Amino acid sequence: MELYRLTASELSRMMQKKEVSSVEVTRSVFDRIAKKEPEIEAYITLNEQAALQKAAEVDEKRAKGEPLSPLAGIPVGVKDNICVKGLPATCASKMLENFIPPYNATVIEKLNAQDCVYTGKLNMDEFAMGSSTETSYFKKTRNPFDLSRVPGGSSGGSAAAVAAGEAVVALGSDTGGSIRQPAAFCGVVGLKPTYGSVSRFGLVAFASSLDQIGPFGRSIEDVAMLYSAICGKDPYDTTTARREYPRFEAGFSADMQGVKIGIPDAYFGKGVSDEVRRLVMQAAHKYEEMGAALVPVTLPEPDYGLAAYYIIACAEASSNLARYDGVKYGYRTKNYKTLDEMYENTRSEGFGDEVKRRIMLGTYVLSSGYYDAYYKKAKFTQKLMEGMFREAFQKADFILSPTAPDTAFQFGENSDDQVKMYMNDILTVTANIAGLPALSFPCGFDSKGMPAGCQLIGGKFTEQRLLNAAYAYEKAAGGFDLSRTLD
Amino acid sequence: MEIDIKRLARLAKLKFTPEEEEKYAAQMANIVAMVEKLPDLDASGPLIDPDNPMEFRKDEVEKKYSRDELLANAPEVQAGCVVVPKTVAE
Repeated sequence: MELYRLTASELSRMMQKKEVSSVEVTRSVFDRIAKKEPEIEAYITLNEQAALQKAAEVDEKRAKGEPLSPLAGIPVGVKDNICVKGLPATCASKMLENFIPPYNATVIEKLNAQDCVYTGKLNMDEFAMGSSTETSYFKKTRNPFDLSRVPGGSSGGSAAAVAAGEAVVALGSDTGGSIRQPAAFCGVVGLKPTYGSVSRFGLVAFASSLDQIGPFGRSIEDVAMLYSAICGKDPYDTTTARREYPRFEAGFSADMQGVKIGIPDAYFGKGVSDEVRRLVMQAAHKYEEMGAALVPVTLPEPDYGLAAYYIIACAEASSNLARYDGVKYGYRTKNYKTLDEMYENTRSEGFGDEVKRRIMLGTYVLSSGYYDAYYKKAKFTQKLMEGMFREAFQKADFILSPTAPDTAFQFGENSDDQVKMYMNDILTVTANIAGLPALSFPCGFDSKGMPAGCQLIGGKFTEQRLLNAAYAYEKAAGGFDLSRTLD
Repeated sequence: MEIDIKRLARLAKLKFTPEEEEKYAAQMANIVAMVEKLPDLDASGPLIDPDNPMEFRKDEVEKKYSRDELLANAPEVQAGCVVVPKTVAE
């Protein structure tokens, strides 16, 4: 058995029994990267030497009998908008091509404390703006199930690397579906945690009130393990909640007896492909067989959610990205005389099309005369949506829907039509708008052989409940089938 | 809906060629048509989460990074300062 194929929990148990070393595991993953990377192109930066050195350190600690965490020595991939000290953090943008952060994101400090090994930095849509990883300045990542198709986005590199065995687990970020949609497209598990449960310190800001870092894995247990390691209050992020978190992977219960699952009609309606609808409903019926009840719930119109999302996200992005001015870090144009020229040319040369479009949209909705018509309305819609979710959770323990309206599309299929591309996020954005946890797990394949994703959305801080339910499905289904991408 | 691309570009400190302006005007008109689908409602009131209040940390200086480390990413540095074009007229 090739080690790169195994899950983090399997590898962890083997390392604890000293059946394998972290160096052997890490080597196996880098051999796999050498083999698959030419076709997948998931990474922007590889970290092989430092990773092997760290793995050797972990093995030494283990040999000495030092107490180690379950994640010690596990190779983890990191999305390129999360700062790892000394490694470039490009955000897949020309603007940050040469930026090397002088500090670690809080999630990296936490994983360092667990002795994780970093394989490298993963490709993404530029500044996390996109749903296919096609807006990356550097390269296009291909879907391991079909190289002519996109891996989803924006965390496309993270999802593809985990699916192809080029990382055991990975970190991504989710502002409107950027963990869940690529997880669905690549047949892996992705969790967008409750807003405020994971620190954003050291995550390059896109839309600060919606951004959240979360884990990718090939099993529910792996996602739970990584999430347990990164959540918690952080003095460097005021929006993190003060509360106690369990070790999620220790508390699994696959008992679905009497659980009420909310089914929102509107999330299975227009725009959702017949095959995805069928596969997701099959998952719902599997829960029924396990003793759960399906109950209808009313959720906000998906169209409203998408509109409110693009207004709020772009408004925040236009403010957040004002910092790229060619002065303190990042790209600076060669072509300027005045300060204004330097700003304009730096930003026009450094940002790609999609980023400029969103900055322009954000500037538009915040500009005088338009604020009330757009931003204020979007914030009201956000409140309405929070209320509707609260009502739905009176009736149901969590909500089940498709993650994305369809399975992975071909390169270029949506690139010329922004509105069509944005529709990819229509079923995921509402969880970000309402600050709720949501998880995507694979629920079978369509007739093209592409994986479909089933999304579970829960009330704030109910990650354990979502992980339990996903774990129950995983057990009943006999695991998630990645035999085609891991071979 | 007429969108004044030139004005927005100026506000956002971006520059476009005339061809780009035309392209952006068309694309933004589509996107704006999409985001206009919002209900008319009045939900005024505080937009905070009373169950999870924010906590500020004490405003204390911590020595975490050296000046050199921070300036290592700046495009142009002289004598420990970032260099910018002249900002004030004589």
